[in-house]
Amino acid sequence: MANSTKKKPYLRMTALGILSLVSYYMLLTNQNLVTEYFIKGGIYAALPIITALYFSFVHGTFASDLLSIMGLSAKGSSH
Amino acid sequence: MKKWIVSILAVIFVMMALAPAAFAESAPPSNAKKGDFTSVDPATHTAVFQPVDSDQPITLKLADSIKAEDVQLNDRVLVSMSDVNGEQVASEISTMFIGLTLDKLIALLLVGLVGGLLSGFIGSGGAFVLTPSMMALGAPGAVAVASNMCHKFPKAMVGTYKRFKYGQVDVKLGLVMGVSSIVGVELGIRVQEKILDTWGSTGSDLYVSFVFVIILVVVGAIILRDALTGSKTVNADVMPKLALAMQKIKIPPMMNFKKAGVVLSAWVTVPIGFATGLLAATIAVGGFIGVPGMIYVVGASAMVASATELLIAFVMGMWGSVEWALAGLIDIRMTLLILATSLIGVQLGALGTTYVKDHTIKLVMASVMLIVAVSRGVKVPVYLSKLGAIDINTGTADILNALSFWTLIAALAAAGFIIASAMIKGIARAKVEEKEAAIAEGA
Repeated sequence: MANSTKKKPYLRMTALGILSLVSYYMLLTNQNLVTEYFIKGGIYAALPIITALYFSFVHGTFASDLLSIMGLSAKGSSH
Repeated sequence: MKKWIVSILAVIFVMMALAPAAFAESAPPSNAKKGDFTSVDPATHTAVFQPVDSDQPITLKLADSIKAEDVQLNDRVLVSMSDVNGEQVASEISTMFIGLTLDKLIALLLVGLVGGLLSGFIGSGGAFVLTPSMMALGAPGAVAVASNMCHKFPKAMVGTYKRFKYGQVDVKLGLVMGVSSIVGVELGIRVQEKILDTWGSTGSDLYVSFVFVIILVVVGAIILRDALTGSKTVNADVMPKLALAMQKIKIPPMMNFKKAGVVLSAWVTVPIGFATGLLAATIAVGGFIGVPGMIYVVGASAMVASATELLIAFVMGMWGSVEWALAGLIDIRMTLLILATSLIGVQLGALGTTYVKDHTIKLVMASVMLIVAVSRGVKVPVYLSKLGAIDINTGTADILNALSFWTLIAALAAAGFIIASAMIKGIARAKVEEKEAAIAEGA
């Protein structure tokens, strides 16, 4: 791990981290609007599914980069 | 392989059309309505309710257990309705969206982190603690189940991707188990409904708890015994006897599960999946049956079984979420707050498996199952007293409920501790090995 030659994804982590933070900020500052539309059912059922997928890609990739920058990667993967 | 995946995916889609409720492990309640109360009349003990999906307000009779002054006006609520002598009665009213205060926010982030860690490590973990946690924070049961389901599929997706990259997921086994367990889940839900109709909700809770405790204690004890003996034996990868017996059944068609390293008859694999689904529908935690089933009956390693379970969780969680989203019961704020930390936890847990041996995964799984069994077991007297079989006072019931909840938290903490310490030891050992290898190369 220490002798890893792989470039660490600092830029991507920062960009996705900011995007994730802004997304969470928007969610928490618009709670009434969000909860109003997300429980309508029918075609609106796509909203929670798409939002969960969006957060899992943005925040999930950010988390992955964060762990690798912290030096936490799978055994043997850094070689 | 490609032909297999295409045909199994086709079966999944057919099953989706035939049995929409199956994937959810439990279906959204049909008697719950969302809306607001616009006025209350204490004299007649009725209230006017405006459902969100209709323009027509309904006058509801309030059940005796509900006080007229407790009905909040113009607040989004979830109302459980029942038909009593042709009159619609509101039997339970709960505020749909909890106020997100800082303490609740932190609680959701914390349980999300450990739930994710557990999920990434043993393939399941979350539902059994996240749902009661959300309910303890004030969310109605149906909203807690829905919000957990919607967080489960993206978490399982990220976990599956990571563990697939580490070469631990048997895609074919996951799909065969997933599809055959759907049939079992479908039958399991029917059994549940029959029990609910016959014994009522307390009787059903008692039955579920009874099956839950028995399964978790028996299976948990088998895994614990195996984990403890496995850690002492030099060759820990001995195939379980039951799995060996299953592999001797050679009735075609035979299925070759490459990653799991076993060749099994479809006549064995499909019933295992079916039984898994049947039990999962009862206890609502599929992984506690699926992972041991794959280890002891199919013959996969704990590593492959726990990774493959994540794929099953993704498939089942995805459709379950669609169903709960259609019912409009997901509190996306809770879902996303749990995801914020569980997406970190699941990846940490997944990479953690690359540093530990099979028996550590089994040890964590057994510990969690046994502590969770205790947590549910202490609630049995509460259900029995509700049925009138025994007599306990409200104070004792409150203590037992609190004990049950805190035991769950203890289960999470214990699992988190075992995983963290095993990972730290594993990483330190890997560093030493790397250094030794570098020195050997230099010499």
